[in-house]
Amino acid sequence: MTESREDIVLEVHDLFTNFYTFEGTVRALDGVELFLRRGDTMGLVGETGCGKSVTARSILRLVEPPGKIESGKIIYNEIDKQTGEVKPIDILSLSEEELLDLRGEKIAIVFQDPATYPNPVFRIGDQIAEVVLLHQDLRYDVIDMKIEKLEKSLQGESDPDKQVHIKEKIEYYRELRKDPPEPDKKDAKAAAFRRAVNMLNLVRMPSPESIAMQYPHELSGGMRQRALIAMALACDPGVLICDEATTALDVTVQAQVLKLLNHLKKEIGTSIIIITHDMGVVAETCNWVTVMYAGTTVESCATKNLFTRPLHPYTDGLLTAVPKLHENKERLPQILGSVPNLITPPSGCRFHPRCAYATEQCKSVKPKLTELEPEHWVACHNPLN
Amino acid sequence: MSEDNLVQIRELKKYFPLTGGVFRKVIGRVHAVDDVDLDIVRGETLGVVGESGCGKTTLGRTILRLLNPTSGQIIFDGKDITHLGGSELREVRRQMQIVFQDPMASLNPRITIKNSVGEPLVVNGIAKGPRMRDMVLELLQKVGLTEAHLNRFPHEFSGGQRQRICIARALALNPKFIVMDEPTSSTDVSVQAQTLNLMKDLQDEFGLTYMFISHDLSVVKHMSDRIAVMYLGKIVELTPHDIFKEAMHPYTFALVSAVPIPDPRFAGKAAILSGEVPSPINPPTGCRFHPRCPFAQDRCSKDIPELRDMGNGHLVACHYAGTLDFGRSAQQEYADSFDVPANA
Repeated sequence: MTESREDIVLEVHDLFTNFYTFEGTVRALDGVELFLRRGDTMGLVGETGCGKSVTARSILRLVEPPGKIESGKIIYNEIDKQTGEVKPIDILSLSEEELLDLRGEKIAIVFQDPATYPNPVFRIGDQIAEVVLLHQDLRYDVIDMKIEKLEKSLQGESDPDKQVHIKEKIEYYRELRKDPPEPDKKDAKAAAFRRAVNMLNLVRMPSPESIAMQYPHELSGGMRQRALIAMALACDPGVLICDEATTALDVTVQAQVLKLLNHLKKEIGTSIIIITHDMGVVAETCNWVTVMYAGTTVESCATKNLFTRPLHPYTDGLLTAVPKLHENKERLPQILGSVPNLITPPSGCRFHPRCAYATEQCKSVKPKLTELEPEHWVACHNPLN
Repeated sequence: MSEDNLVQIRELKKYFPLTGGVFRKVIGRVHAVDDVDLDIVRGETLGVVGESGCGKTTLGRTILRLLNPTSGQIIFDGKDITHLGGSELREVRRQMQIVFQDPMASLNPRITIKNSVGEPLVVNGIAKGPRMRDMVLELLQKVGLTEAHLNRFPHEFSGGQRQRICIARALALNPKFIVMDEPTSSTDVSVQAQTLNLMKDLQDEFGLTYMFISHDLSVVKHMSDRIAVMYLGKIVELTPHDIFKEAMHPYTFALVSAVPIPDPRFAGKAAILSGEVPSPINPPTGCRFHPRCPFAQDRCSKDIPELRDMGNGHLVACHYAGTLDFGRSAQQEYADSFDVPANA
């Protein structure tokens, strides 16, 4: 993976994360390799327990005890908005305070279950506004808001004396806008709330003003998920991680949310990681896919390559085990066995006990992720062809 | 004809009362299942699909009398079981079983697998002690588990294995009819394939009749002989055909068109149904789908459409069934893209 820092927004190298439980050490991540190009939508697929969510949480340093990130490198390449220079940020070496700047502002996450994530006792608008208030510079917003208000009152004013007075005021604020002072708390809050309403509008909520005043229980699952996406996007993050964001939704609502994500990517240019186990969702939204198995990256390539030419036996099994909507088969091809226990993971390639092509080498040597074909990385000793 | 039907339900209704205020007064009703007529033929798999809250699980549970119907009639194996109670009901329940969605929640965590699977045998006085153990072992072997698993507890198994234990338990009394309530929605694709194959094998071996409830259209299509599509408590379409190719109700077509296609060439082509499912407390008048239906006419908001036979047992509840032109869905295009090389 030798590409310039400008193209790649997020890279993960050789990441190891363990969970220290009573039964033993769960080796959840075992040398995960990932990279996300700027403007891409990447699908991170794999079965339950393969480490997709742990990877996402490791990227944000949200792994809580008994879990621990052991070693590896996670780098976020930030582009400075003024100079255009690329500034690599090593996430694993950040302090707690620096992490607060990272989370939400540079990398945001949307979790799986929309019923548990918005805080039930605060209004939707206030929750989004809180994120904005914490991370964003609102000085310009506050003054814009004031000018807007004055312009509105100018239209409704018929007394010429007062009109002159209002115009003077508008001029004053325009002058102030060149070097805005720190706003007071009340104004900042109002400006943040205004941004929250704009965000709700962006995720295509009907009547965003009234939704902003509602509590989470008043919204349906699809609307809550959209509100969470709005919250995640409120600070214009460089990377948005959707951790099974559509899994709990019905197909028709899922289709709405996926379409929304596709549109948002075009509008605001955020790079997206979609964590899912549904190959249909991947095909629908992603242009790059990374497949994980038992804590390791097994394959990484463009979506259309993955569907037409999977090189890893596990990917192939995953693709054929899904019932297809066009086929009438009596039996489904199945991957034998089940996902290994990660306290005692298999030696060598972690897939070898379930693999039809396994050899002696697979049992002892762990395969490295290599670029077998241009733009197609695979970790396998005996790839399919 | 009725000889062939294992289950017949007529005008089945199940309403849940909503209470409120200090005196728990009934202030409304959730129309979970509303006026459903359905026959399930011996030996078939009837798939039931629909979005969450459409009443598919309630329908399954009401048929088994796990919920008491508000009105209507349920005939099982030629016998009216709508108002049965006590020992008579218990006798009938041996014939019908259910497998739930979440296998962890439906197995007692403090009881070994042997006792969990063997409990129906003991309760019904069929076997106990060593004989029960042998029968349980035989059942476990049928679902691909071994003797070593007998004395383990549920937490020692993976999700797929637990679901197989639940299936073994459902088979213990040699039933005729099993309701599968989203049996694979909590399992992974590779495990899902194993479970689905197992269920098909068992059906052939024991001559079972399944009612297969799921929201995953591809899975339902793979498993079922006939598919019933539910929307807000009503069956809108019942078809022996491929719902991806021959949908006749606008809702079925919309549901099918929203399924993501596992092929990047078709990305972004899935059609999108606007709006959300209305509340089943005050369902829309007339056809319940009319507020979201792109083909809705004046009549749709007034008259309730009946299920009509459109030929070959393909029942559709739409005033304009057969006259609507849905166009081609991306899913049909996708399916056809596989037919071409096969014919050429």
